[in-house]
Amino acid sequence: MSRPVRFLVCLVVSAVFVLPLFAMVVVAFTPRELVFDGGASLWPSSFTTSNFTNLFASFPVWRWFSNAMIVATLTTALSVAVNLAAGFALAKLQFAGRTFVLVVVLSTLMVPAQAVMIPQFELVARMGLIGLFWAVILPSASTALGVFLARQFFVSVPDELLDAARLDGCGTVATLRYVVLPMAKPLIAVMVLLAFMTQWNDFLWPLITLRDPDLYTLPVALRFLQGQFDADYGGLMAMALLSCVPLLVVFVALQRFFVDGFSRSGIR
Amino acid sequence: MTIEKTALAPGQEAPGEQATTPGTAPRSRLRDNRSAYSLLAPNLLLIGLFLLVPLVWSLLMAFQAKRSFGLGEWSGLTNLSRLLSDDVFWRALLNTAIFTVATVPLSVGLGLALALLMDKALPGRGVFRTIVYLPIAVSSLVVSLVGLLLFDESIGILNGVLRDLGVGPVAWQSNGALAMLSVVVMTLWTRVGFGMLVYLAALQDVDSEVLEAATMDGAGGLDRIRHVVVPWLRPTTFFLVVINMIWSFQVFDVVYVMTNGGPGYSTTMLVTYAYDEGFGPSRNFGYGATVGLVLLVITLAITAVQLRVNRRQEA
Amino acid sequence: MPPPPSLSRRALLGSALGLGAYGLSGCAGLTERVSSTSRGSRDTLTFQTYGTDVEGNIYDVLARRFEEQNRGVTVDVTVVPFAEASTGIDAGLVSGTAPDIFRVDYPTMGVYASTGQLLDLEDSLDELAGDSSKAFMDAVTDRGRVFGIPQHVDTSALVYRPDVLRDAGITSVPDRPEDAWSWEEFAQVAATLRDAAPAGSSAFAVNWQALGAFRWLNFLFQAGGHVYDEDRTRSLLTSASATRALDFTKSFFDEGLVPQTSSTKAATYPDALFTSGSLAMLYAGNFLLPSFADTIKDRFEYAVTYLPRDRRRASELGGNALVATKGATNPELASEFLTFMAAPAQMKDFCEASVLLPTRDSLLSQELDFAVAADLMPVYADQVTTIEPRDVADVTTATFAEVNLSLANELETCFLSGRGTADTLQALAEQVDESAYLNRQDAS
Repeated sequence: MSRPVRFLVCLVVSAVFVLPLFAMVVVAFTPRELVFDGGASLWPSSFTTSNFTNLFASFPVWRWFSNAMIVATLTTALSVAVNLAAGFALAKLQFAGRTFVLVVVLSTLMVPAQAVMIPQFELVARMGLIGLFWAVILPSASTALGVFLARQFFVSVPDELLDAARLDGCGTVATLRYVVLPMAKPLIAVMVLLAFMTQWNDFLWPLITLRDPDLYTLPVALRFLQGQFDADYGGLMAMALLSCVPLLVVFVALQRFFVDGFSRSGIR
Repeated sequence: MTIEKTALAPGQEAPGEQATTPGTAPRSRLRDNRSAYSLLAPNLLLIGLFLLVPLVWSLLMAFQAKRSFGLGEWSGLTNLSRLLSDDVFWRALLNTAIFTVATVPLSVGLGLALALLMDKALPGRGVFRTIVYLPIAVSSLVVSLVGLLLFDESIGILNGVLRDLGVGPVAWQSNGALAMLSVVVMTLWTRVGFGMLVYLAALQDVDSEVLEAATMDGAGGLDRIRHVVVPWLRPTTFFLVVINMIWSFQVFDVVYVMTNGGPGYSTTMLVTYAYDEGFGPSRNFGYGATVGLVLLVITLAITAVQLRVNRRQEA
Repeated sequence: MPPPPSLSRRALLGSALGLGAYGLSGCAGLTERVSSTSRGSRDTLTFQTYGTDVEGNIYDVLARRFEEQNRGVTVDVTVVPFAEASTGIDAGLVSGTAPDIFRVDYPTMGVYASTGQLLDLEDSLDELAGDSSKAFMDAVTDRGRVFGIPQHVDTSALVYRPDVLRDAGITSVPDRPEDAWSWEEFAQVAATLRDAAPAGSSAFAVNWQALGAFRWLNFLFQAGGHVYDEDRTRSLLTSASATRALDFTKSFFDEGLVPQTSSTKAATYPDALFTSGSLAMLYAGNFLLPSFADTIKDRFEYAVTYLPRDRRRASELGGNALVATKGATNPELASEFLTFMAAPAQMKDFCEASVLLPTRDSLLSQELDFAVAADLMPVYADQVTTIEPRDVADVTTATFAEVNLSLANELETCFLSGRGTADTLQALAEQVDESAYLNRQDAS
C-alpha cells in the first residue's frame, strides 16, 4: 500500500474506534429531553452541563470515586508487595519444595475466578467480610499472573549481583531491599499500573460483594445508575465519562508502561 | 515474550546455582528455606484461601442441593443430571461457543492487520495508535453502557443514523442474532487494540529487513506478509488466540449490562447463567457452582492444548 | 426514571449514617459496616428498604416517629436499589450481617419464610389479621406462622391517553368494573390504535419487565387458569386456559400491538415510552402514578381504566411486606417496630404519601387522601378486590422466585423468537416442577 492510502485507512480506522467515545462525550452534554424525544444524536441541537450537575446533586459521586481509590490503591499496594516477594523467592532462592510451590501457583493461573465465584462468595461471607472493602481487596490481592511477572523479571537478574551482596554480609531481606528493589523499578511500575487498572475496572466481584450504594466502586455505581436512570442516557454517559477519564489520562500519559505491561501479560 | 511460556515451563529453573562456598552451604540453605517461605507465605495464604479452598468447595457444592443461605444437603448427581438435560445450559454453552468463534479470529486478525498498518512510519502514527489502544483502558461497564447507547432500539445512536438514511429501526435488542452481534461488536472494540499492541511489541523483534522486504509496495507485498511475517509471529498469534479464547469463555460484563442474556436466551452465556442461577432469584448455589465447574473444565482443556503445543514447539 | 430532586436522594443514599455526599467517615467500608449490611444492637434497628424517593422519605419520617415514641431507640434506614436488594439480603443472611428489618416483595418472601430466615411474629399481629383480607395475610404466612406485615399492595390497571383514543375514533372507555373490556374488545381497540399510530409509536405495552414477569399470570388467571394445582405439588401450566392466555399475549408481539423491546427480559421499562408519548395505553402499577405526574405534567392528558377481562377479572398482588430477620439482635424491638408500621395511622400515612393501597379493610373502605392522582386511585382500589387467595398462593410459594425467572425467559423466547405456545408451556411446566427439588430441604 502506498503511504497516502495507508494514511487514509488509518484515518478511517481511528474514526471508527473513536466513535463510541465521541458518542459518550456528546450525549453526556446533551439535554435529557432531546434524547428522550428525538433519540440520541451525534450532533445535538444544544448542549448542557445539567447532566453533571444533576448527578452531583443527586448521588454520592465523590464518595464513589473515593471508594474506587481506596479499593484500587489498597489492592495494588498489597498485591505488588505480596507478588514481588513471592516472585523473587521463586526465581532466586533455593528451598525445599520449590518446584511443588511453583506448580501450585502455576495451576491457579488456570482457574478462572468466575468458575468458583459462588463458593468464593460463601467463603468471604462466612469470614464476615461482606459489606466491607476487604471482601473485594483480599481475594484480588494475589494474582498468579503478578507472581509470574515478578518471577520472570527476577530470573533475568544476574546471580552475581546477589552473590556479591551476600558476600558483603547482606541477609536475604537486606539484599532484597538494597540491591533488588532499586533495580526492579520498571517491573514495579508495570505491576502497579496493571493491578490498579484491573481493580479500578473490575465489576463482577464487587457487584457480588459490595452490598451498599455507599460502598460502590465506579463500575458497580454505573450499573446502579443504569437501574436508576433507565433510559436517561445523558446522566448515564456523564457518569461513564467521569469514571473513565482519570484512567484514560493516566493511560495516555504512561502509555509506554502500559504497552510494556500488556505485551508482557494477559491482564485486562 | 510471554508469561505463559514461562508459566508453562516450570522445569526451566533460573540458570546458575548459588555460588556459595561448600562450608556455608547448609546454613545458607536453611536460611534460604526460612526466608523463602516467609517471602512466599502471604501469597500462598491468599491463593490457598481465596482460590484453592473455593475450588475444592465448588466440587463439593456441585453434589449438593443448596441455597445461598442455609446449609446444603447431599443430593448426589441431581445437579449434574439436571445440567445434562437443561436446554438453557446447552443454549448458554452454544452461545458461548458462538461468541468465542465470532470474537477470537476477528480480535486477533484485525489486531494483526492494524499492527502491520501502523508499524511503519506514518504521519500521526502515535495518535492513531493511541486511539486504537484507548478502549483497553475503558472499563467494561463503560463499554457496555456505551454499547447500549449505540444499539438502543428506540433512541440509540445507530438507529438514529439509520433513520436519517431512511432505513427503518433495526431490531438490535429484540432480535437474537442482532443482539449477539451488538455484544460481539462492543467486545471487539476493546480487544482489537490489545491484539494490535501485542503484535506491535512482537514486530519490534522481527528483523527489520525482512519487514522492509515484505511490506514493500507493489505486487507480492501481501504474499510476503503471508509467507514471511505471519510465520514469524506465530508464537504471538498463539498467545493471543489462547488468551482471547479464555476471555471469551468468561464473558460476563458486556452481556449482563447490554442484553441481560436476552432476548429470550439468545445471548445467555456460561458465566451469566451461573450468576443468574447462583445470585439471581433462584439462589441455587449448588447448580450455579455446577455450571461454574463447566467453565473450569473448558478453561483447563484450552490450557492443556496450549501446554501440548508449547511442548511440541520447544521440542 | 427521571433524576429525582436532589435533596431527597442525597438524604437517602448519602446519609444513612448521617454522612452527606461528601462526608466521608474514613472507616466506613474498611473497619465498620454501613447500616444496611449490619445487624442492629439492643436499642438500634437497622432497616433496609428500596423504592422511590417518596417512599424512602416517608419511611424515614415513620422511623423518626417510632424513635420519638420510644426514647433512646434509633432506626437506621438505608435505601438500596430494588434490583440489588434481595441479593444484598441473601449475603447478609449467609454472613449473619443482615439488617434487622427489611422490605420484601410478596413473590420473594416465600423463600425467606420457608427456609427459616425470618422472625416468627407470633401473635403480635392478631389485630391486623382481623382487619385484613385472608389473601393478604396468606401472603406473609408460611405453614400457619406469620412472618411479616403486609404493608401495602399495589396492582396494575390500564392507563390510557384519551386524546389518542379519541383521534383513533374510540370514544367509550369502561368506567365501571362490570363494563371492563373483554380480551376480544381490547384486542380490537389495540388494533385500531396500532393502525392509527404514527411511526415509532405503539398501541400499548405490558409491565412485565425486570422482575415483573409474574404479571403475565394476570392473563392466566383471567383465562381461569392457575400455576399450581390445589395443593401446589404439580404445575398446571399446560392447561387450555394457559394456552389461551399465552396465545393472546403472544399475539401482542406477532401483530405489532406492543413495542418489540417491551418483552419480559427487556433492559428498560415501558413507562418511559408512555411518558415520552409513544404509547397510547400502558398496563401500569399505581406506584408509577407519582412519577407520571412528575414527568408528564400537562403535556398530555391520561386516565385509567380496568384491566381487560376474560373468564374472570384478575389482578396481580404487587406490593411489599416488612419482615424481621431471625437473627435480629433485639427481636422484641423488631417485632414492635413491625406492629407500629402496620398500625392504621402509619399505614395510612405511608400509602397516602406514596400512592399505594393499604391492606387493612378499615383503610380500604375509606377515601384516602393520596398525594397525587387521587382521581385515578379508585380504579386501582377496585382492581385489588379481584385478587383471590388462590392467586396469591400461586405466587408466594418458596420457589416462586425461580418460577418468576423461568417465566421471564420462556415468555420472551415465545414472544420474540417465535417458539410455539405448546412448547413454551411444556418448558415452563418442566421448570416449575424442576425447581421444586430445592423445596425438599425447605420442608424438612
